Amino acid sequence: MSNKERLIFDSPARPSPGSPILRIGMGDGVVAGVPHIISSSGLGSCVVVTLYDSKRKLGGLAHIMLPDSHNLNGYHSVYECADTAIAALIKGLQIKRATLSDMVAKLVGGSSMFSSSENFSPGIGEQNIISTKYTLKQKRIPLIGENTGGNYGRNVEFYLDSGRVTVKAIGQEVREI
Amino acid sequence: MNNKEQLMSVEHIDFLAEMMNVGAGNAVTALSQLLDVEMDLKIPVVHILPAVLGESSILGQPSLPVTCARMNMVGEVTGYLHFIVQSKDTASLIQLAELATQKGEKRHGWSSSNPGEDFSVIAEIGNIISGVYLTAIHDFCKLNIYHTVPTVATDMIQALLDESLINLSRQVRHLIVAENEFIVKEKSIKTFMMIIPSAESIKILADSIDKAKMSYRK
Repeated sequence: MSNKERLIFDSPARPSPGSPILRIGMGDGVVAGVPHIISSSGLGSCVVVTLYDSKRKLGGLAHIMLPDSHNLNGYHSVYECADTAIAALIKGLQIKRATLSDMVAKLVGGSSMFSSSENFSPGIGEQNIISTKYTLKQKRIPLIGENTGGNYGRNVEFYLDSGRVTVKAIGQEVREI
Repeated sequence: MNNKEQLMSVEHIDFLAEMMNVGAGNAVTALSQLLDVEMDLKIPVVHILPAVLGESSILGQPSLPVTCARMNMVGEVTGYLHFIVQSKDTASLIQLAELATQKGEKRHGWSSSNPGEDFSVIAEIGNIISGVYLTAIHDFCKLNIYHTVPTVATDMIQALLDESLINLSRQVRHLIVAENEFIVKEKSIKTFMMIIPSAESIKILADSIDKAKMSYRK
């Protein structure tokens, strides 16, 4: 087999420069302002949390994979776990001069894709939802919209001019939350 | 982050690719017996992909619709196995299976109970193909690996894979993907066999590849 046939990719999905659309991969996050649109696709049991400050038109989005950052070994990005991701988004927004009291949150994802008979405890998707809501409550950020649970994947787009979030699933209409 | 790179050298990956090629050979035999049709196989391509599927990856976009049969790997190597068929090829695979059942009906007097779209076909094919791939690994590396009963779902590819990646608690940075293209009656069906070994298993796999290489040199 030649080297040409085998592809070794190392870098995760990064926002493409020069475009208003910022693409966020698994375990990644970003803080941005107008005119950007933050998009994240292929959301299964992961959750996407968006924070938006409407007065300053600043927002942040994190594609969270794990419910909490305790008992984890090895390298992990801050945006991978619910508690650290929300803290990182708040910090990023505050650096851009947004205020915590003006922020509102929306939550998408946390489905369980395979109906499995092996799982008796709540699935990872549900754990992600619970943990994210708990962290938001702790930080006193109101949750004003959500589209969670179910057994299907979702694509999310977050418009920073208005703070609206659209959710698209295969074979379903686009929904706005 | 460099865990895997240290444990798996280019030579390891070469050997792994070779094993997957043998697996693909076995897979085409198994599939043509199961579906009762003549099948050709294009030379399989083995990819080592990052755990986060970028837009540039061979599987296309993270939101690509696919049908996927998921199995747990148990035994000396643990992790997950995914047998993936793109949604556009799923129908032709199911059709082939239905044709095979009709042939069987004539021959043995069976009756097919549920005609139409039946995803259990994909589960069964995934079951068999994972079996032959694991046999190929066993033949070279002498590792005993088994897999559990498959569960099937149809949705966006990354949505289907993320649960497996999370359950292995993000230790995985790379996926082993064998891309097989079967040709049946001049129609090509693309399937992917994705092996996601857990972090501990990568070391076991690398060690046994070293051992296997030593024994071939003698």
